[in-house]
Amino acid sequence: MFNEASGPGPERRDHADILGILARARSTPLKALAENLLDQLGDITVIVNRTGLVMVPMRDTVENVDFHLGEVLVSEAHIADADGRIGYGMITGRDLERAMAMAVVDLSLAGDARAEAVLHFIETERLHQAALDEALMRRVEATRVEMETF
Amino acid sequence: MAYVATRGGEKAIEQAERLFRQDLGTIDAARVEAIRQSMPYLVDRVMGEASLYDEDMAALALAQTGGELSEAVLVLRAWRTTQPRLAVAAPLLQEDLLTVRRISAAFKDIPGGQILGPTLDYSHRVLATDVLEGKPYNPPSVDPAATAAPMRQPSLADWQRQQGLVAPANDSTVAPDDIPDLTREPLLFPASRAHRLQSLARAETGGVLALGYAAMRGYGNAHPTVNELRLAEAEVMVRHPSGTEFSAGRVRVCQAEVTSKEKGGFLELGFAASFGWNEVKVIAAATLDLNSAEAPVGSPVHEEFYLSHTESVEASGFCIHFKLPHYVTFQSVLDAMRDAKAKAAAAKANQDVAVERQTEPAE
Repeated sequence: MFNEASGPGPERRDHADILGILARARSTPLKALAENLLDQLGDITVIVNRTGLVMVPMRDTVENVDFHLGEVLVSEAHIADADGRIGYGMITGRDLERAMAMAVVDLSLAGDARAEAVLHFIETERLHQAALDEALMRRVEATRVEMETF
Repeated sequence: MAYVATRGGEKAIEQAERLFRQDLGTIDAARVEAIRQSMPYLVDRVMGEASLYDEDMAALALAQTGGELSEAVLVLRAWRTTQPRLAVAAPLLQEDLLTVRRISAAFKDIPGGQILGPTLDYSHRVLATDVLEGKPYNPPSVDPAATAAPMRQPSLADWQRQQGLVAPANDSTVAPDDIPDLTREPLLFPASRAHRLQSLARAETGGVLALGYAAMRGYGNAHPTVNELRLAEAEVMVRHPSGTEFSAGRVRVCQAEVTSKEKGGFLELGFAASFGWNEVKVIAAATLDLNSAEAPVGSPVHEEFYLSHTESVEASGFCIHFKLPHYVTFQSVLDAMRDAKAKAAAAKANQDVAVERQTEPAE
């Protein structure tokens, strides 16, 4: 399990944010972007492309004990290019193509962290996801209640 | 036990399965999608009890079993065993949950405030029968607030701890891979807290409700008040091969803390959480946790009792196995019954003879 042997640490400061955005990105444009990038990446080795489970622990608030809540079905893709650069994708749900598309975009960024088309896609998805969250939390805020006791 | 002391019936068995499945009709992606979209709370319940989070798989399990919940949970748990475990995510922390509902019945003014979120708690429960007469029900839209609620809310228990209301707790030092795991090891008693909470997270909703309700009605020693109830989404934090930790997506979770009374200078708290949004389950489960400490052995709030009897697949499996042929064991019951009757008849006959003999002199 890669969680047991963590890697050398974050390579890029914004890597975590980008991966999170890619994991939630809309399927169709993500796959289209990956399709376009493939021609530029040369030979790619697929190390892993599979579905599997991620166990999710939670921390109890009473005694601070960690316990397992259950497992989440995920799709995973792990690829490498001829220079040994790594691309990785993991998403919740059962969609191997989407995980592979995420890995292709990740690999592309590993080779060129400033690729304009990729950064534009990530920014578009970031704004889209932020708008969804904003809209949801405005609806949630409408249910805030001030209670009085008598 | 000899459950299968019979043979034959293959054709009838095949036709019986066909009858069940034919009644359900064609199952296609559209039906699965319709279930997933229209019954999120049912899907949540199945995912929680199956201990497997995937809305599509849970909807498929419901479609394939016609909504027979114990069968749906069984088939989902069985499918889960075909999948490798790829990782253990970072533990979910209460203050990191993307919270859409957070209420407290114990404290009116909690840090972060009370947010009702999606609920029917304060609504009239009226069946929309007009729908059956061709008038679709179109729910009114929420009037969104001008500003968004914070996505994360502070932990009430931590605030109570700072106020000296709740007992201090040490930070967890167990690595995620070392957390006790019921799917890999047996449940032994007394159970570790990690096993108890994992078992409650995957417990059967009706069973937990029944036993939790028993505690609430007086068969427990602590009556619950909801300290905090949350419905939320949680980021599933996994690790890139480079070491970068990132979110692979979000899952719906719920959690409840219940409190009762002061003990040793602190408020007692019970806790439970589950995949999906299932408030009844986590409130009842937290009530069982709250009552566990001094529960008499054999009572519904003793952990061995409630954990043993709310395990969905074991409970439903044991119950339905009684439908399977028990001809040998039942034949032995009949043999014993007939033997006892024969002996009783013989004894009665002997007694009658003896009585007749005794009465002879009087005749």
